[in-house]
Amino acid sequence: MTPAEHTVFSIRKRALASSLPVMMGYVAMGFAAGVLLTTRGETGHPVFWGILTSMTSISGTLQFLFPGWFRTGLPLTEVALLTFCINFRYAMYGFSLLGKFQDISWWKRCYLVWTLTDETYALEVASPYPAGPANSTYCLTLAMLDHLYWIIGVAAGAFAGSRLPFSGKGVEFAMTALFLVILTDQVRNRENRKPAIVGGGTALAALLVFGPEKMLIPAIILIVTIFLFFRKKWDREAAQ
Amino acid sequence: MTSTAYLFAIVLTAAAVTILLRSVPFLLFREGKPLPPVIHYISKMLSPAIIALLTFYCFGGHLQERVPAEHGFGIAELSAAIVVVGLQLWKRNPLLSILAGTAVYMIFIQKIFP
Repeated sequence: MTPAEHTVFSIRKRALASSLPVMMGYVAMGFAAGVLLTTRGETGHPVFWGILTSMTSISGTLQFLFPGWFRTGLPLTEVALLTFCINFRYAMYGFSLLGKFQDISWWKRCYLVWTLTDETYALEVASPYPAGPANSTYCLTLAMLDHLYWIIGVAAGAFAGSRLPFSGKGVEFAMTALFLVILTDQVRNRENRKPAIVGGGTALAALLVFGPEKMLIPAIILIVTIFLFFRKKWDREAAQ
Repeated sequence: MTSTAYLFAIVLTAAAVTILLRSVPFLLFREGKPLPPVIHYISKMLSPAIIALLTFYCFGGHLQERVPAEHGFGIAELSAAIVVVGLQLWKRNPLLSILAGTAVYMIFIQKIFP
Protein backbone atom coordinates (compact mmCIF):
# COMPACT_ATOMS: atom_id res chain seq x y z
CA MET A 1 0.00 0.00 0.00
CA THR A 2 1.48 3.38 -1.03
CA PRO A 3 1.34 6.30 1.40
CA ALA A 4 -1.27 8.09 -0.75
CA GLU A 5 -3.63 5.11 -0.72
CA HIS A 6 -3.10 4.74 2.96
CA THR A 7 -4.10 8.34 3.48
CA VAL A 8 -7.33 7.99 1.49
CA PHE A 9 -8.10 4.77 3.33
CA SER A 10 -7.51 6.34 6.73
CA ILE A 11 -9.66 9.36 5.81
CA ARG A 12 -12.51 7.08 4.76
CA LYS A 13 -12.12 5.08 7.96
CA ARG A 14 -12.32 8.26 9.99
CA ALA A 15 -15.47 9.33 8.11
CA LEU A 16 -17.03 5.91 8.76
CA ALA A 17 -16.26 6.19 12.49
CA SER A 18 -17.81 9.65 12.82
CA SER A 19 -20.89 8.55 10.84
CA LEU A 20 -21.75 5.65 13.18
CA PRO A 21 -24.06 7.64 15.50
CA VAL A 22 -25.89 8.91 12.41
CA MET A 23 -26.27 5.31 11.24
CA MET A 24 -28.10 4.36 14.45
CA GLY A 25 -30.42 7.34 14.15
CA TYR A 26 -31.10 7.11 10.40
CA VAL A 27 -31.65 3.37 10.18
CA ALA A 28 -34.01 3.38 13.17
CA MET A 29 -35.92 6.53 12.24
CA GLY A 30 -36.01 5.55 8.57
CA PHE A 31 -37.37 2.15 9.55
CA ALA A 32 -40.26 3.76 11.46
CA ALA A 33 -41.02 6.04 8.49
CA GLY A 34 -40.89 3.03 6.14
CA VAL A 35 -43.38 1.06 8.23
CA LEU A 36 -45.67 4.08 8.16
CA LEU A 37 -45.39 4.31 4.37
CA THR A 38 -46.52 0.69 3.98
CA THR A 39 -49.34 0.78 6.51
CA ARG A 40 -50.63 4.27 5.64
CA GLY A 41 -49.29 5.29 2.25
CA GLU A 42 -51.54 3.14 0.01
CA THR A 43 -48.92 3.06 -2.75
CA GLY A 44 -49.02 -0.54 -3.97
CA HIS A 45 -45.22 -1.01 -4.02
CA PRO A 46 -44.07 0.47 -0.71
CA VAL A 47 -40.44 -0.71 -1.02
CA PHE A 48 -40.08 1.03 -4.39
CA TRP A 49 -41.66 4.23 -3.06
CA GLY A 50 -39.62 3.95 0.11
CA ILE A 51 -36.37 3.89 -1.86
CA LEU A 52 -37.50 6.66 -4.22
CA THR A 53 -38.69 9.05 -1.49
CA SER A 54 -35.70 8.48 0.80
CA MET A 55 -33.16 8.73 -2.03
CA THR A 56 -34.48 11.98 -3.53
CA SER A 57 -35.43 14.25 -0.63
CA ILE A 58 -33.41 12.77 2.28
CA SER A 59 -35.60 14.66 4.75
CA GLY A 60 -36.93 13.05 7.92
CA THR A 61 -39.94 15.33 8.36
CA LEU A 62 -41.00 14.91 4.72
CA GLN A 63 -40.55 11.15 4.99
CA PHE A 64 -43.11 11.02 7.80
CA LEU A 65 -45.52 13.31 5.91
CA PHE A 66 -45.34 11.49 2.55
CA PRO A 67 -47.78 8.67 3.52
CA GLY A 68 -50.56 11.18 4.25
CA TRP A 69 -49.79 13.20 1.11
CA PHE A 70 -49.84 10.02 -0.96
CA ARG A 71 -53.14 8.86 0.52
CA THR A 72 -54.97 12.14 0.00
CA GLY A 73 -53.20 13.25 -3.20
CA LEU A 74 -52.23 16.63 -1.74
CA PRO A 75 -52.24 19.45 -4.37
CA LEU A 76 -48.71 20.14 -5.67
CA THR A 77 -48.83 23.83 -4.67
CA GLU A 78 -49.35 22.71 -1.07
CA VAL A 79 -46.59 20.10 -1.38
CA ALA A 80 -44.24 22.85 -2.58
CA LEU A 81 -45.22 25.43 0.06
CA LEU A 82 -45.11 22.95 2.95
CA THR A 83 -41.75 21.54 1.83
CA PHE A 84 -40.44 25.10 1.53
CA CYS A 85 -41.41 25.98 5.10
CA ILE A 86 -40.42 22.66 6.65
CA ASN A 87 -36.99 22.63 5.01
CA PHE A 88 -36.32 26.37 4.95
CA ARG A 89 -33.48 25.89 7.43
CA TYR A 90 -31.46 23.98 4.82
CA ALA A 91 -31.00 27.27 2.92
CA MET A 92 -28.87 28.47 5.86
CA TYR A 93 -26.52 25.51 6.14
CA GLY A 94 -24.50 26.09 2.98
CA PHE A 95 -23.25 29.48 4.16
CA SER A 96 -20.87 27.93 6.65
CA LEU A 97 -19.72 25.32 4.11
CA LEU A 98 -18.93 27.61 1.14
CA GLY A 99 -15.29 27.86 2.15
CA LYS A 100 -14.85 24.19 2.98
CA PHE A 101 -16.33 23.13 -0.37
CA GLN A 102 -14.67 25.69 -2.67
CA ASP A 103 -11.91 23.39 -4.01
CA ILE A 104 -14.28 20.49 -4.72
CA SER A 105 -15.27 19.87 -8.36
CA TRP A 106 -18.75 21.09 -9.25
CA TRP A 107 -20.41 17.69 -9.73
CA LYS A 108 -19.11 16.43 -6.39
CA ARG A 109 -20.31 19.67 -4.83
CA CYS A 110 -23.76 19.05 -6.35
CA TYR A 111 -23.87 15.69 -4.56
CA LEU A 112 -22.78 17.30 -1.27
CA VAL A 113 -25.54 19.91 -1.63
CA TRP A 114 -28.16 17.27 -2.47
CA THR A 115 -27.28 15.20 0.62
CA LEU A 116 -27.06 18.12 3.07
CA THR A 117 -29.23 16.94 5.99
CA ASP A 118 -29.09 18.25 9.57
CA GLU A 119 -26.80 15.48 10.74
CA THR A 120 -24.51 15.40 7.68
CA TYR A 121 -24.17 19.18 7.92
CA ALA A 122 -23.15 18.93 11.57
CA LEU A 123 -20.44 16.38 10.74
CA GLU A 124 -19.13 18.26 7.69
CA VAL A 125 -18.87 21.57 9.54
CA ALA A 126 -16.85 19.74 12.18
CA SER A 127 -14.56 18.11 9.58
CA PRO A 128 -11.05 17.73 11.02
CA TYR A 129 -9.42 18.51 7.65
CA PRO A 130 -8.80 21.97 6.16
CA ALA A 131 -10.32 22.71 2.70
CA GLY A 132 -8.54 20.51 0.15
CA PRO A 133 -8.44 16.93 -1.19
CA ALA A 134 -8.51 15.28 2.27
CA ASN A 135 -11.57 17.31 3.29
CA SER A 136 -13.22 16.47 -0.05
CA THR A 137 -12.72 12.73 0.48
CA TYR A 138 -13.93 12.98 4.08
CA CYS A 139 -17.10 14.95 3.27
CA LEU A 140 -18.03 12.84 0.24
CA THR A 141 -17.60 9.60 2.21
CA LEU A 142 -19.77 10.99 5.01
CA ALA A 143 -22.44 12.16 2.57
CA MET A 144 -22.59 8.79 0.80
CA LEU A 145 -22.71 6.79 4.05
CA ASP A 146 -25.46 8.93 5.60
CA HIS A 147 -27.45 8.83 2.34
CA LEU A 148 -27.12 5.05 2.28
CA TYR A 149 -28.15 4.61 5.95
CA TRP A 150 -31.32 6.60 5.33
CA ILE A 151 -32.29 4.66 2.18
CA ILE A 152 -31.61 1.30 3.87
CA GLY A 153 -33.65 2.28 6.95
CA VAL A 154 -36.70 3.43 4.96
CA ALA A 155 -36.59 0.50 2.49
CA ALA A 156 -36.25 -2.06 5.30
CA GLY A 157 -39.13 -0.45 7.20
CA ALA A 158 -41.32 -0.40 4.10
CA PHE A 159 -40.57 -4.10 3.56
CA ALA A 160 -41.20 -5.01 7.20
CA GLY A 161 -44.41 -2.97 7.29
CA SER A 162 -46.27 -5.54 5.21
CA ARG A 163 -45.15 -8.38 7.51
CA LEU A 164 -46.03 -7.00 10.94
CA PRO A 165 -47.03 -9.86 13.27
CA PHE A 166 -49.74 -7.63 14.78
CA SER A 167 -52.23 -5.00 13.64
CA GLY A 168 -50.61 -1.75 12.55
CA LYS A 169 -53.66 0.28 13.55
CA GLY A 170 -52.44 3.39 15.34
CA VAL A 171 -48.85 3.26 14.06
CA GLU A 172 -49.43 6.71 12.52
CA PHE A 173 -48.89 8.15 16.00
CA ALA A 174 -45.13 7.69 15.33
CA MET A 175 -45.22 10.91 13.28
CA THR A 176 -46.93 12.85 16.07
CA ALA A 177 -44.42 11.40 18.53
CA LEU A 178 -41.52 12.50 16.30
CA PHE A 179 -42.75 16.11 16.25
CA LEU A 180 -43.37 16.05 20.02
CA VAL A 181 -39.79 14.85 20.57
CA ILE A 182 -38.32 17.59 18.35
CA LEU A 183 -40.52 20.21 20.03
CA THR A 184 -39.58 19.03 23.53
CA ASP A 185 -35.88 19.30 22.68
CA GLN A 186 -36.32 22.70 21.02
CA VAL A 187 -38.12 24.35 23.94
CA ARG A 188 -35.32 23.36 26.31
CA ASN A 189 -33.60 26.30 24.62
CA ARG A 190 -35.21 29.51 25.92
CA GLU A 191 -34.83 31.28 22.55
CA ASN A 192 -37.16 28.80 20.85
CA ARG A 193 -40.04 29.18 23.30
CA LYS A 194 -41.60 32.33 21.83
CA PRO A 195 -41.69 31.06 18.21
CA ALA A 196 -43.00 27.70 19.46
CA ILE A 197 -45.84 29.44 21.33
CA VAL A 198 -46.67 31.58 18.28
CA GLY A 199 -46.66 28.46 16.09
CA GLY A 200 -48.72 26.41 18.54
CA GLY A 201 -51.26 29.15 19.21
CA THR A 202 -51.72 29.90 15.52
CA ALA A 203 -52.01 26.18 14.80
CA LEU A 204 -54.72 25.71 17.42
CA ALA A 205 -56.71 28.66 16.05
CA ALA A 206 -56.31 27.43 12.45
CA LEU A 207 -57.30 23.90 13.49
CA LEU A 208 -60.54 25.17 15.06
CA VAL A 209 -61.37 27.53 12.18
CA PHE A 210 -60.28 25.52 9.11
CA GLY A 211 -60.08 21.91 10.35
CA PRO A 212 -57.02 19.63 10.06
CA GLU A 213 -57.11 19.30 6.27
CA LYS A 214 -57.06 23.00 5.40
CA MET A 215 -55.21 24.49 8.38
CA LEU A 216 -51.57 24.43 7.28
CA ILE A 217 -51.39 27.10 4.59
CA PRO A 218 -53.37 29.83 6.46
CA ALA A 219 -51.43 29.01 9.63
CA ILE A 220 -48.04 29.36 7.91
CA ILE A 221 -49.02 32.68 6.33
CA LEU A 222 -50.24 33.98 9.71
CA ILE A 223 -47.09 32.79 11.53
CA VAL A 224 -44.73 34.51 9.08
CA THR A 225 -46.85 37.68 9.22
CA ILE A 226 -46.71 37.73 13.03
CA PHE A 227 -42.92 37.23 12.97
CA LEU A 228 -42.44 40.07 10.46
CA PHE A 229 -44.80 42.35 12.39
CA PHE A 230 -42.88 41.92 15.66
CA ARG A 231 -39.47 41.69 14.04
CA LYS A 232 -38.01 44.91 15.49
CA LYS A 233 -38.96 43.94 19.02
CA TRP A 234 -38.16 40.22 18.92
CA ASP A 235 -34.96 40.45 16.92
CA ARG A 236 -33.58 42.98 19.42
CA GLU A 237 -34.61 40.81 22.36
CA ALA A 238 -32.89 37.80 20.86
CA ALA A 239 -29.69 39.78 20.31
CA GLN A 240 -29.46 40.73 23.99
CA MET B 1 -56.11 5.68 -4.36
CA THR B 2 -53.84 8.34 -5.82
CA SER B 3 -52.55 7.61 -9.34
CA THR B 4 -48.92 6.51 -9.78
CA ALA B 5 -48.14 9.52 -11.99
CA TYR B 6 -49.38 11.84 -9.25
CA LEU B 7 -47.26 10.06 -6.62
CA PHE B 8 -44.21 10.72 -8.83
CA ALA B 9 -45.26 14.37 -9.10
CA ILE B 10 -45.45 14.69 -5.30
CA VAL B 11 -42.01 13.07 -4.81
CA LEU B 12 -40.40 15.22 -7.52
CA THR B 13 -41.96 18.47 -6.27
CA ALA B 14 -40.84 17.85 -2.69
CA ALA B 15 -37.33 16.83 -3.82
CA ALA B 16 -36.97 19.82 -6.17
CA VAL B 17 -37.93 22.34 -3.46
CA THR B 18 -35.68 20.64 -0.88
CA ILE B 19 -32.65 20.52 -3.20
CA LEU B 20 -33.23 24.11 -4.33
CA LEU B 21 -33.22 25.27 -0.70
CA ARG B 22 -30.02 23.37 0.00
CA SER B 23 -28.30 24.99 -2.98
CA VAL B 24 -29.35 28.61 -2.24
CA PRO B 25 -26.07 29.70 -0.62
CA PHE B 26 -24.00 28.08 -3.38
CA LEU B 27 -26.07 29.70 -6.13
CA LEU B 28 -26.49 33.19 -4.68
CA PHE B 29 -23.70 34.06 -2.32
CA ARG B 30 -19.95 34.33 -2.14
CA GLU B 31 -17.89 33.43 0.87
CA GLY B 32 -17.74 36.14 3.53
CA LYS B 33 -20.86 38.02 2.41
CA PRO B 34 -23.28 38.31 5.34
CA LEU B 35 -26.78 36.88 5.26
CA PRO B 36 -29.68 39.37 4.79
CA PRO B 37 -30.77 39.93 8.43
CA VAL B 38 -34.48 39.36 7.76
CA ILE B 39 -33.74 35.88 6.32
CA HIS B 40 -31.62 35.04 9.33
CA TYR B 41 -34.37 36.18 11.70
CA ILE B 42 -37.19 34.31 9.91
CA SER B 43 -35.10 31.14 9.67
CA LYS B 44 -34.36 31.22 13.40
CA MET B 45 -38.02 31.77 14.31
CA LEU B 46 -39.63 29.49 11.72
CA SER B 47 -38.17 26.14 12.80
CA PRO B 48 -39.80 25.83 16.28
CA ALA B 49 -43.03 27.41 14.97
CA ILE B 50 -43.35 24.91 12.12
CA ILE B 51 -42.70 21.96 14.43
CA ALA B 52 -45.37 23.21 16.87
CA LEU B 53 -47.75 23.69 13.93
CA LEU B 54 -47.12 20.16 12.62
CA THR B 55 -47.70 18.73 16.10
CA PHE B 56 -51.17 20.27 16.27
CA TYR B 57 -51.82 19.25 12.66
CA CYS B 58 -51.09 15.61 13.58
CA PHE B 59 -53.37 15.73 16.62
CA GLY B 60 -56.12 17.22 14.47
CA GLY B 61 -55.72 14.32 12.06
CA HIS B 62 -55.93 11.67 14.81
CA LEU B 63 -59.01 13.23 16.37
CA GLN B 64 -60.79 13.64 13.05
CA GLU B 65 -59.96 10.20 11.68
CA ARG B 66 -61.72 8.14 14.35
CA VAL B 67 -65.12 8.46 15.95
CA PRO B 68 -64.70 10.07 19.40
CA ALA B 69 -65.41 6.84 21.32
CA GLU B 70 -62.57 5.04 19.47
CA HIS B 71 -59.94 7.09 21.25
CA GLY B 72 -61.82 7.76 24.46
CA PHE B 73 -62.58 11.37 23.43
CA GLY B 74 -58.88 12.19 23.13
CA ILE B 75 -57.62 10.16 26.11
CA ALA B 76 -55.53 7.90 23.83
CA GLU B 77 -53.78 10.90 22.19
CA LEU B 78 -53.25 12.71 25.48
CA SER B 79 -51.84 9.65 27.29
CA ALA B 80 -49.48 8.77 24.44
CA ALA B 81 -48.31 12.41 24.21
CA ILE B 82 -47.57 12.51 27.95
CA VAL B 83 -45.51 9.32 27.62
CA VAL B 84 -43.52 10.80 24.70
CA VAL B 85 -42.79 14.17 26.32
CA GLY B 86 -42.14 12.64 29.74
CA LEU B 87 -39.70 10.05 28.40
CA GLN B 88 -37.94 12.62 26.24
CA LEU B 89 -37.48 15.01 29.19
CA TRP B 90 -36.24 12.15 31.35
CA LYS B 91 -34.11 9.94 29.08
CA ARG B 92 -33.46 12.22 26.03
CA ASN B 93 -33.58 9.22 23.72
CA PRO B 94 -35.77 10.12 20.69
CA LEU B 95 -36.20 6.56 19.47
CA LEU B 96 -37.26 5.26 22.88
CA SER B 97 -39.76 8.11 23.31
CA ILE B 98 -41.28 7.58 19.85
CA LEU B 99 -41.54 3.78 20.15
CA ALA B 100 -43.00 3.85 23.66
CA GLY B 101 -45.53 6.58 22.81
CA THR B 102 -46.63 4.82 19.62
CA ALA B 103 -46.98 1.51 21.48
CA VAL B 104 -49.14 3.18 24.14
CA TYR B 105 -51.31 4.73 21.43
CA MET B 106 -51.72 1.41 19.58
CA ILE B 107 -52.66 -0.41 22.80
CA PHE B 108 -55.23 2.29 23.59
CA ILE B 109 -57.02 2.26 20.25
CA GLN B 110 -56.73 -1.50 19.65
CA LYS B 111 -57.43 -2.89 23.14
CA ILE B 112 -58.90 -0.26 25.45
CA PHE B 113 -61.23 1.61 23.08
CA PRO B 114 -61.69 -0.92 20.27
